[in-house]
Amino acid sequence: MKFHFQGNAVEAKDGDTIAAALYRQGQRIFSRSFKYHRPRGLLCVQGKCPNCLMNVDGIPNIRTCITPVRDGMTVKAQNAFPSLETDWLSITQRFDWLMPVGWYYKTFTQRAMWHAAEPIIRKVAGLGEVLTSETPNYEHSWMHCDRAVIGGGWAGIEAAQAAGARGEQVVLVDDQPALGGQSRYRKRSGQDPSDLIKRLQALPNVRILLDSYCFGLYEGNLLGIVQRNPHSGAAERLVHLRAQHTTVATGAYETPLLFPHHDLPGVMLSTGVLRLLHLYGVRPGERVVVVGAAGASAEVSAELRDAGIVVVATVSPEQMRVASGAPGVKGIQTEIGRFACDLVAVCGPQVPDAGLAAQAGGKFAWSADHGAFLATGLPQHVSLVGAAAGEGLTGVRSPLPLGKRAFVCLCTDVSSQDLCDGIAEGFDHIETLKRYTTATMGPCQGRMCQLSAIGVCAQQTGRSKAETGVTTSRPPNPGITLGALAGPGHHPIRRTPMHYVHERLGAVWMDMSDWRRPRYYRTSSTSAEKECILAEYRAVREGVGIIDVSTLGKLDLRGVDCGKLLDKVYTHRFSDLRAGRVRYALMCDEGGIILDDGTIAHLSDDRYFVTTTTGNLEFVHQWLDWYLAGTGWDVHMANVTAGYGAMNIAGPRSREVLSKLTRCDLTSAAFPYMACREAEVASIPVIMLRIGFVGETGWEIHCPAESAEALWEALLEAGQDSNIRPFGVEAQRLLRLEKRHVIVGVDTDALTNPYEADMGWAVKLEKPDFVGKAFLARVTGDLSRERLIGFVLSGPGLPEDGAAIVADGQLAGRVTSTRHSPARQAAVGLGWVKVSQAREGASVDVRVDGKLVPATITLQPFYDPEGGRLRQ
Amino acid sequence: MSFLLPCPNCGRRSVYEFRFGGEVRQVPAVDAPPAEWQNYRFNRTNAAGVQTEWWFHRSGCRQWLYAVRNTVTNEVLNAYLPGEKP
Repeated sequence: MKFHFQGNAVEAKDGDTIAAALYRQGQRIFSRSFKYHRPRGLLCVQGKCPNCLMNVDGIPNIRTCITPVRDGMTVKAQNAFPSLETDWLSITQRFDWLMPVGWYYKTFTQRAMWHAAEPIIRKVAGLGEVLTSETPNYEHSWMHCDRAVIGGGWAGIEAAQAAGARGEQVVLVDDQPALGGQSRYRKRSGQDPSDLIKRLQALPNVRILLDSYCFGLYEGNLLGIVQRNPHSGAAERLVHLRAQHTTVATGAYETPLLFPHHDLPGVMLSTGVLRLLHLYGVRPGERVVVVGAAGASAEVSAELRDAGIVVVATVSPEQMRVASGAPGVKGIQTEIGRFACDLVAVCGPQVPDAGLAAQAGGKFAWSADHGAFLATGLPQHVSLVGAAAGEGLTGVRSPLPLGKRAFVCLCTDVSSQDLCDGIAEGFDHIETLKRYTTATMGPCQGRMCQLSAIGVCAQQTGRSKAETGVTTSRPPNPGITLGALAGPGHHPIRRTPMHYVHERLGAVWMDMSDWRRPRYYRTSSTSAEKECILAEYRAVREGVGIIDVSTLGKLDLRGVDCGKLLDKVYTHRFSDLRAGRVRYALMCDEGGIILDDGTIAHLSDDRYFVTTTTGNLEFVHQWLDWYLAGTGWDVHMANVTAGYGAMNIAGPRSREVLSKLTRCDLTSAAFPYMACREAEVASIPVIMLRIGFVGETGWEIHCPAESAEALWEALLEAGQDSNIRPFGVEAQRLLRLEKRHVIVGVDTDALTNPYEADMGWAVKLEKPDFVGKAFLARVTGDLSRERLIGFVLSGPGLPEDGAAIVADGQLAGRVTSTRHSPARQAAVGLGWVKVSQAREGASVDVRVDGKLVPATITLQPFYDPEGGRLRQ
Repeated sequence: MSFLLPCPNCGRRSVYEFRFGGEVRQVPAVDAPPAEWQNYRFNRTNAAGVQTEWWFHRSGCRQWLYAVRNTVTNEVLNAYLPGEKP
């Protein structure tokens, strides 16, 4: 396998991670630090530290030490210019005295200074650059199990095996590509879990997720797990794992010992050294000094000697003074002498990786015997086993070089001196110290530095570690990509039953909530939007037009108590609506604010057909259900929106077209305005409502969705001689505006009541009770706020939605909808003005393109104010 | 927030399947004094502790139900359908 690193091809062996392949090839500097651009090399080699973050195939901050090589991938260094080896910005180290702890707070005391400095700081500091194009695919999946075991080391394997043998459904999660934990690289530990692993793998009720890390434990025992490369088509899969019981077996990880320049490339944790050696067959160095307590350093030294690597010396932590060399370590100074070396293996304190236990509600308490904070007080559904519970841990004396400068927090370059300064400035509580200095707040979330920071804080304040306590462990840790959280970029689209006919007819689409609707139709002669819309308008006003209104919400209500429910929830009265009649329906909330509108048709004795606006169906359905809940009323409600297609055929010639296809008597005497019938059109069973949103004679026809396309085509064919024309949403909006029909949510807002919107006629206060009555009963006659008006512009131009309405030089209101009206040969619109200005014929000004244009207020529809055409 | 809610129809389900409908409160009589309606409309008890709430099982049985929840711990002590005994 080969991959590209900084423009060069790098060979990799099977099973290599990016960092292992680079190290084998001689790469020693893997990143530059966040603030001072100090060279940093591999440290933990297990994804716990921030030192190996690189950009891989455009994705920033990838932990290369645990990311397997894929053939042909492109790897780039971050935060270094021109190269990792020569980073010009490392000059900032020389000016560290200019940037004391709390530098931002102390320096940028004025806004202007920050605005000037921010772009420069953004360039100099920070990690990686966000990928904004060609993001890879992410997936989400959901799993349920009796027991989740997090961590596939010895303790985790044992726990999973025992639970599996009991017959529990088990999911075992490990962030490595193979089970075994430490035994994989500590060859002298004497642990060989291979038999146990075999028995575990034989259990059919145990599912093993490798290369997957758990980033958080949430309420209800929900575990967030990211699976890397679940298959070739996805970069990451976020698994929502819901477990009855969680066993945290995340083990312990090693952390650095503090001494000046302990952060040099070549100073590595002993576990990192062993991982390079045993997992990837990489020789970590040739001449090694091992720093650590007697037992631990003996094991590491022996492992190195087995590999034929020279161990120059073993040094106890107390004897350690300073490491030196540039850019990587060349030697160390100790109490027992100077040693030249190319690698320092540090056996640091072990920290139980028990953040998940804390997220479950556990508290950390210091245990001197273990030299670690151990989680206690876990809830019943979470248990902690193995090294994560402190098993096998013994305290490592780790002297702190207070007064000397050693970087505690590698992520954000916070030194022991910075922590002491922070404490001296009064931030002596570990939580405030963390926030002030940013120690433990970087990409590694304190894994490498929390224990040292607590040590420094304890020592400097004279408190014990137990008194000092720990900072809070919050998910996500480790960090996860926003892509994994966001998941797949699905955007559902709903298509009406006539969608493909519209496509053939030249529809130009628009999105309306989830639906796709024709905005207008291109014709063979023109595709100019204005001309098309005007032609569609003319067809409806002068001939006949047809529009797909399948997106309307449709509810089928049956039962003897339907009238009672509708009376309660809608402002109008429906219990007295005769079968075969339709009524406009307005819905308010308890405060009398308009929520939705539509029509309600009383089809037969116990059956009502309710329509809602396109976007509000789900809400209205739930709202009706809510008022029905617990009443015991006989009402059965079904959402039939997708089951019915709907179209509105409108215009003076609509009757002539429709009558060709139905035996239903369409004369106004037999089928008047606001009537409804169940009938057959083109042999298709339909519900016909004679209503007129667009202001002409017309029928809204609902039919089974599977027949809607056939009905639409039949109507078009029948209308051929009458020059029938399909019209889109734009023409419909123009037609309705001329009739001054409001669109809820466009012309009304979250404070609009029916009286202000001039729809008091739809409110029946004489009903004993309905939702909103208590408030509406008090606003009648007291329209102190605003009123919805129409206006006709006397000058050229078209105001935008929201444009100001001005009266006597004062702001009087705002515009909500405007169109150029062919009927009035002027721009007309709806808007809100103060009640005192809402008089027929009053003069106001409307702001158009920055200028005030005179307009006349009207309270009448702009077109056919008497509504005669509707009733023809 | 990822607790489980025991739907009386569907069993224990993730809270993401539900829509929250607020505290269960006594609706004032239609002719109650304005102050009472204003209090009902604009104020909430916002209890830190156990309260009975409306929930709608949107991605399940699509029923409104009562849930007795501890707002501090998100423990749901009971859930039942309106019109039924707690």
